[in-house]
Amino acid sequence: MSKSTEENTPELRPHVYDGIQEYDQKLPNWWLFTFYIAIAFFVIYWLAYYQFQLIPTDEERMHAAMAQIDAARLKQLESLDDAKLWAMAKDVKAIESGKATYAASCMACHGPTLAGGPGLPGLSLADKVWKHGGQPSEILKVIRKGSPDVSKGMPAWEPQLGLPRVLEVLAYVLSHHQEGETFTVDPNDKPTWMAAAPATGAQ
Amino acid sequence: MSRSLPNLISVTTIAPDGSRRTVQPADVRGRYTFWRRVTAVLLLAVYILLPWIPINGSPAVFLDVAHRRFHILGFVLAAEDLWLGFFLVTGVAFSLFYVSAVMGRVWCGWTCPYTVFLEHVYRRVERWIDGDGPARRRLEEAPLTVGKVLRRVFKHGIYLLLSAFIAHVFLSYFVSLRQLYAMMQGPPSQHWLAFGVVAFLTASLYFAFSWFREQFCIILCPYGRLQSALTDDHTVNVGYDKTRGEPRGKVNTPGAGDCINCQRCVQVCPTGIDIRNGLQLECIGCAACVDACDDIMAKVGRKPGLIRHDSLAAFKGGRTKWVRPRTVLYGLLLVCGMIVCSLSLLAVKPVGVSLNRLTGAPYFVNNGEIRNQFQLRLVNKRPQPAVYRVALAPDAPEGLRLTDAADAVQVPALGEVVKTVVLTLPKDQFRGPIKTQLSISTEPDGRTQVARELEFLGPDPRLQNDEYLNPQNYLR
Repeated sequence: MSKSTEENTPELRPHVYDGIQEYDQKLPNWWLFTFYIAIAFFVIYWLAYYQFQLIPTDEERMHAAMAQIDAARLKQLESLDDAKLWAMAKDVKAIESGKATYAASCMACHGPTLAGGPGLPGLSLADKVWKHGGQPSEILKVIRKGSPDVSKGMPAWEPQLGLPRVLEVLAYVLSHHQEGETFTVDPNDKPTWMAAAPATGAQ
Repeated sequence: MSRSLPNLISVTTIAPDGSRRTVQPADVRGRYTFWRRVTAVLLLAVYILLPWIPINGSPAVFLDVAHRRFHILGFVLAAEDLWLGFFLVTGVAFSLFYVSAVMGRVWCGWTCPYTVFLEHVYRRVERWIDGDGPARRRLEEAPLTVGKVLRRVFKHGIYLLLSAFIAHVFLSYFVSLRQLYAMMQGPPSQHWLAFGVVAFLTASLYFAFSWFREQFCIILCPYGRLQSALTDDHTVNVGYDKTRGEPRGKVNTPGAGDCINCQRCVQVCPTGIDIRNGLQLECIGCAACVDACDDIMAKVGRKPGLIRHDSLAAFKGGRTKWVRPRTVLYGLLLVCGMIVCSLSLLAVKPVGVSLNRLTGAPYFVNNGEIRNQFQLRLVNKRPQPAVYRVALAPDAPEGLRLTDAADAVQVPALGEVVKTVVLTLPKDQFRGPIKTQLSISTEPDGRTQVARELEFLGPDPRLQNDEYLNPQNYLR
């Protein structure tokens, strides 16, 4: 075995463990450099984050982002009046995508023609009788937040679909109606097929 | 210029004061160098061409993170198939275990992308601009002149360009070439994330291959250390035949061994070690020293193979045992892993299905019927549109009904649809929670079938039938 010929052979440390000794060698400078940077980062970060709260925490950032989203949504909702919603109901693209969302999310209860159907629990959206109000803004509220009567099963769709898709579904529903048509509000509205053949044994 | 020989006490590339000593490996020719270069060119071609080859309308490898679809040689995996990554990781690990136990660090010297880029791209550029090892050493130690500055600027400019190119190729695996090209046309403000990734990668690659180099393999890479721990006396490594070589001496010295102490093996080593000191953790198994020594042996008319691939046992005069507990165990684990991986791949369905209860109450009682509402997420992993039929399992109890079972669900190519699924049961038929299944099959062939369990809930029938306990009677 060739021994080192260097005059500056590193010093051998005096301690011995299990017959193993170690040299006193310098660490690579680049390694030490990253180590020093890490220490400096720790001090700066500790002061900025934990001591002086200069950096927002993840929770604060999340709340700020949520507030921003809520504000934007509120602004969008405020700008939506019945006239604007009726205008949307003439947008062919919105109706098309609303139809697709309707088929996936709403059809299971309200039926393929919006009129409900035998055995379907949903109310008709095609007739001129509304349970919770027939103005576009009132229908929008039911789609967004669900039925005010939580025992009926119409869930809030806004958390699942988001406001843009809810608006598209509304456009699709409104495309089955005329602006200015007369409607009645009936709090006891039932699926059409049940009115025709009253179910026995219902409460 | 006198440089002490590399030794076992210190790492050659780290000077006693901790500063960096660069390695300037000399040119080497020979069969291993040739085949290593062929391997590298093939690998480089694979790295660069994979995003260009279309299979089933997508690049051969396209990890579409934005849409969570992973196209691998025509297969499409969705985010829900991430568990298969287990086999990728363990497969790589066991392959490496096996190969390392049998042949040492061949992965490092021959196929590791780091080595491929360092030795066969960046070092070639350096060789082209600055010349052979000794010339590079002279240039390194020469005072700064206009010519040297110009050379350095030229070399590092090319390094940067290459790094930027590799970074773009890397990004194209994740965004596809078409999108990459579109991004390159627009200002960075339209895609800060992608721009940041490429900028960071370019800087990292430039740093790694222009300066950091073998330090990564020696100090940082966990694979290197791991592989050193997987070898034993019968593992075939690059080694020096001490019995044949020692004592070293000039060609005509009487009684001297075959090693003429020409230092060629030291000069060509990319990690700066002296292989004659035995197997060392710096060695990446590149075999440059084998080619260098064979060349010298041929010149002095001696047999090649003074430095060669062999096991420690063979160098001591014994025989290499190929079949030993270590290789058998690693091999068995590798084969087991490959079988389970193949079976798992076969079990991956081209449709992803998940079924969850819709938000709100767990059940509703309206008009004499109990109703449960679910959300069904259908993920189409095929690059063609698909139609799925959703139905209750045939063994579902009588009376349980899917409200729009007649409807097939259309899902666009590689798209997904979230569908509301409503189940009803007449109230008087409910005897307690019902466990059943929803089955999803492709239309019209019905080839793919997936079933998902669900539990139909309702009011406790004991409450319904008991006159005193029924809350409706109670409240009235």
